Amino acid sequence: MIDQTMIPDIDPIALPAPIWLLKFLLLLTFTLHILAMNVAVGGGFVAAFTEYFGRKKKSQNHFELSRGIAKMLPPFTAFTITLGVAPLLFLQVLYGQFFYTSTILMAWPWLSVIVIFILAYYGYYIFSFRWEKLNGKRFWAVLISATMLATIGLIYVNNIVLMLTPDKWKAMYFANPHGTHMNFDDATLIPRYLHYIISALAVAGVVVIMWGMRKLKSDEQLGKWAIRYGAWWFLIPTFINIGVGVWWLIALPREFMLMFMGGNQLATGYFLVGLASIFVCIMLMFVGMNASKPIGKIMAAKLFFLITIVTMILMRHELREAYLKPYINWDAVQTEPQWGVIIIFALLLVGGLITVIWMLKKSFGKPAIN
Amino acid sequence: MNYPFWDIPFIGGGMLIGFVAIIHTFVAQFAIGGGLFLVLTERKAYRENNPKIIDYLKIHSKFFILLTLVFGALTGVAIWFTIGLVTPMATSSLIHIFVWGWAIEWVFFFIEIAAAMIYYYTWDKLDRKTHIAIGWIYFIAAWMSLFVINGILTFMLTPGDWLQTKSFWDGFFNPTMLPSLVIRTAVTIALAGLYALLTSSFMKDDELRTTMIKYSSKWILVPFFVLPFGGLWYVLSIPTLSFDIIAGGAPAITIFVALGVFFSVIIFIFAYFLPYRVPHRFSAALAFMFLMLGLFVMGVSEMVREAIRKPYIIYDYMYSNNVFKTEADKFKTAGILPSSKWTHVKSADDANIMKAGEQVFKLQCQSCHTVQGYNGIKILTKGWQEPFIENQIEHLNQLKGFMPPFMGSESEKKALAKWLYELNKTEQIIRNQ
Ligand code: HEM
Repeated sequence: MIDQTMIPDIDPIALPAPIWLLKFLLLLTFTLHILAMNVAVGGGFVAAFTEYFGRKKKSQNHFELSRGIAKMLPPFTAFTITLGVAPLLFLQVLYGQFFYTSTILMAWPWLSVIVIFILAYYGYYIFSFRWEKLNGKRFWAVLISATMLATIGLIYVNNIVLMLTPDKWKAMYFANPHGTHMNFDDATLIPRYLHYIISALAVAGVVVIMWGMRKLKSDEQLGKWAIRYGAWWFLIPTFINIGVGVWWLIALPREFMLMFMGGNQLATGYFLVGLASIFVCIMLMFVGMNASKPIGKIMAAKLFFLITIVTMILMRHELREAYLKPYINWDAVQTEPQWGVIIIFALLLVGGLITVIWMLKKSFGKPAIN
Repeated sequence: MNYPFWDIPFIGGGMLIGFVAIIHTFVAQFAIGGGLFLVLTERKAYRENNPKIIDYLKIHSKFFILLTLVFGALTGVAIWFTIGLVTPMATSSLIHIFVWGWAIEWVFFFIEIAAAMIYYYTWDKLDRKTHIAIGWIYFIAAWMSLFVINGILTFMLTPGDWLQTKSFWDGFFNPTMLPSLVIRTAVTIALAGLYALLTSSFMKDDELRTTMIKYSSKWILVPFFVLPFGGLWYVLSIPTLSFDIIAGGAPAITIFVALGVFFSVIIFIFAYFLPYRVPHRFSAALAFMFLMLGLFVMGVSEMVREAIRKPYIIYDYMYSNNVFKTEADKFKTAGILPSSKWTHVKSADDANIMKAGEQVFKLQCQSCHTVQGYNGIKILTKGWQEPFIENQIEHLNQLKGFMPPFMGSESEKKALAKWLYELNKTEQIIRNQ
């Protein structure tokens, strides 16, 4: 029997929305967060290595790309936070009793996220605004920032996994109530983390490809080079990640592993779709990177990549539900939807998206004369 | 009693929240007023056909995004992190009651961030009209996010009809929501002036510097004509007990209020006599001092705002120590130790009296007191005898209106009294040896 006494009681105030809606918004905003994070973190590493290769090979292409990525890093870092705040909200409302508790156990590492983030973010701004002046120091500037951001991911993984294992909390808290714990003794932690970070490199590779496609018109040689170069950044990490994914799967408690191998139809279904689409994606990428007219194939590859990412996130969600199944009975959770406010939120969200798209169109559309 | 208590030696959780909240507010409110400053000043530059002002704005807007998008946004996330760690029960309540309020706030936050970046990156790219329009979008989104968060924050002090109806709108449009919105809006504008004073004073061009310094000082002066009325309206809307705390019930808080008012007046007077009257003699060092005075006023006001909510964290709903008001009686009869999840001491008896006393302290008192540090209980009970301590605990809420009643059994009270007494006693003995 599991000792349940240490899980805080659920908040007595009913959830102000149907559970499916909250879960949907959690997964949606989390997907966007992860995509932005992938560009911000993976992009930083790709920029660092591109600088390094550029210097070794004295290659102008590499520097052009580095400059291009430098411009993207600050906005994508901003989106990482902005899009991180939303899942943070929905996570708390759905899983507060688990999340707050694990956070308290690792309070100081958790708070350090803020400090690390501020420093890394300023580092990216320096890399971006002073790209020319930094010259030889660029490699270090961007590498250090990217490494700091990647460390934040590690702290997140510690917490998001710790919240799933309440039977560990009691011993941890009584050993030390000062909030200095980490969760490294969980066997799934390292493969889980590596899986995310390596896929960040692959996503950054795709961003490099897109950058190359935009360049094709103005500088075909550079564009073609960037497409091939980006494709390798996509392919190599993706191959490695297949191995790391298997490692994660094996590291899971046996019942959860089996869930993805027929034990649970939905989870197995996601897994199969994810595997199939990454396979198609790799094929398309191989064909696309060498094609004389790459755009169509690459766009299709991107689509399949997105499908893979979404299925992975859905698998991750099923995994969390499985971990928490003994501790929460969703049927017993009270809901009293505040439909009025929900509708206002939906309208504002749509209005907000239209506004942002309008602003982007205006600023990235044809250059105006002042 | 539900969540583990995060034990932070010396500073305590309240102090940590206060620290994070003050630095965040100081930058975040600039992020709002500063937006209005950017658009109106840009308009002024075009109207007066003064390209130098645009040069200034380019520099000022860089400073603005570097400060607000990075430091402002992240310290905002830091508040969330900290309140979740220190007061998880209250945070959970606020999130459950206002999920959709927060979600709406997030939409505005998103627009705000996007608009700020685009505004900064498109100085030379967009036509004037569109650029100003983006500035307005920024300011409106930023102010709307203040509007939403202000409703949620004021709810904590004056939940109003929500206590009966449990309706989102009653909680949001609560009795202090409007006066507080007026105050905050005025403060954001004054802060825009304070920060602009700083960046202006760095301008090399003498004429530009003087113009901008004088102009910025007006941004500081104007809101001061609104603040006294907002302040009065606010004070008239707060609960009686909160009013008593300001009016002498807790001397430290009365002093804070006085300091806040005094230094606000100082800022006003100096802003008039220095940057407004003699802008050419103004310097960056002075601007920095102004900013520090502003930070100080912000600091004491935040402390007052926190203090007047005592003994509650959400008025008439949850006590400062994260106990629901309705649960107090239950703990008195059943005892706090057996009702708490995160303690291994499950009852107080003669055998474990010291351990039990310490645990009771942790559960009931440590959300506001530390042992030896900030608001340290050891100093506060120095020289008190055990029966006296017991009596104080019994009448905690009557003796000091800003403390919750003691919620625990007889034996737990005795244990707490004993533990408190021993805190000072052991030291006495050591010193005597
Ligand atoms: C660049 C810095 C960041 C990185 C590298 C990063 C990375 C990650 C990773 C890898 C996860 C998955 C954790 C797991 O499943 O074990 C995650 C989850 C999450 N992140 Fe981020 N993150 C960053 C910044 C942020 C920030 C600033 C916020 C909030 C403002 C945030 C909010 C979240 C939330 C709420 C989740 C959990 C979502 C869920 O479990 O459903 N992240 N992040």
